[in-house]
Amino acid sequence: MPSPVLPLLGRGLVAGAAAGLAAGLFSLLLAEPLMDRAIRAEEKRSAAQEHARGMHGTAQHHEELFARSTQHAGLVVTAVVAGLAVGVLFAVAYALVHRRDPRAAPWPRALVFAGAAFAAVSLLPGLRYPANPPGVGDSATVGERQALWLASVAIGVLGMFLVRQVYVRLSARAAPVRQIGAALTGVAVLAALFLLPDNPDPVPVDAELLWDFRVLSVASHALLWAVLAAVFGGLGLRAVRGGAARGVIAGARAAGVPSRPGAAPGTSPTAPPP
Amino acid sequence: MSLHSAASHTDGAAAKAATVQTRDWLVASAAVIVALIALYAVFVDNGSLISATGGYLHEFAHDGRHLFGAPCH
Repeated sequence: MPSPVLPLLGRGLVAGAAAGLAAGLFSLLLAEPLMDRAIRAEEKRSAAQEHARGMHGTAQHHEELFARSTQHAGLVVTAVVAGLAVGVLFAVAYALVHRRDPRAAPWPRALVFAGAAFAAVSLLPGLRYPANPPGVGDSATVGERQALWLASVAIGVLGMFLVRQVYVRLSARAAPVRQIGAALTGVAVLAALFLLPDNPDPVPVDAELLWDFRVLSVASHALLWAVLAAVFGGLGLRAVRGGAARGVIAGARAAGVPSRPGAAPGTSPTAPPP
Repeated sequence: MSLHSAASHTDGAAAKAATVQTRDWLVASAAVIVALIALYAVFVDNGSLISATGGYLHEFAHDGRHLFGAPCH
């Protein structure tokens, strides 16, 4: 029986490319006007600073390398590359978590898995370190901010895993026990997230622009995960139907080997998702 | 983990299945590594990963970084 990881990987790549393209085009249409406005405002600010001090400000941009139009295209390319990479990680994580029964319930599992991934990778880090438009960010602190941001992503992913583990481990207990257990774990994860030091940079941006940009940032993340889930789950459904249509023999053989006996304990296929 | 699944099969088929499993998971691991490098290049690198690209990679991905919340200069 061949491993199901490669078909999942293929689905992850297709779903990731579609998701990245959707998020890239969405943000090209809606977020780029804001970023252009933010850059114009920043240029005004640094020009005023320069004028006042007779020198360059520290927060100025190095945008001389590329024209803005190239950076607009770069946004879409970046989103597609990120989508492909996220699709691969999604597929492999999915294959690992559902390794006992990788073909079952592709649609609801894809939705739940992508929802959990959105919370872990996008929402939680985004709550702690909300996205900032261009013009915010001191190059002197970029290393520190990257370390903090990566830590927040790591806490998000580990935290989501922990919440699921708690929920699964408590599966024999009454519903209130395991739900409160999972919720308390979630609160502990949030606390850990907010124990991280604050973003050290000032945010000298118009409040309305800042809010709109952050909402669009979260919306782009959400769109990416939603499209990823829909395409991944849809392709999974199609594979199940295709497999059923291809013949009784193959189906019977697959049914004769329902699960891999060597699968590690700790994750039960019947356990509800986090 | 995939090697254990071979235990219940006949020797030849089991060995083959185990080989296929191992190969597939190796492919998956390679894909994960490539994906992580791609994410690093797009969202974290500041010109140090591929020094030949200098700041170009960073600047090309500039808007994507800001949009997705990755720290930028």
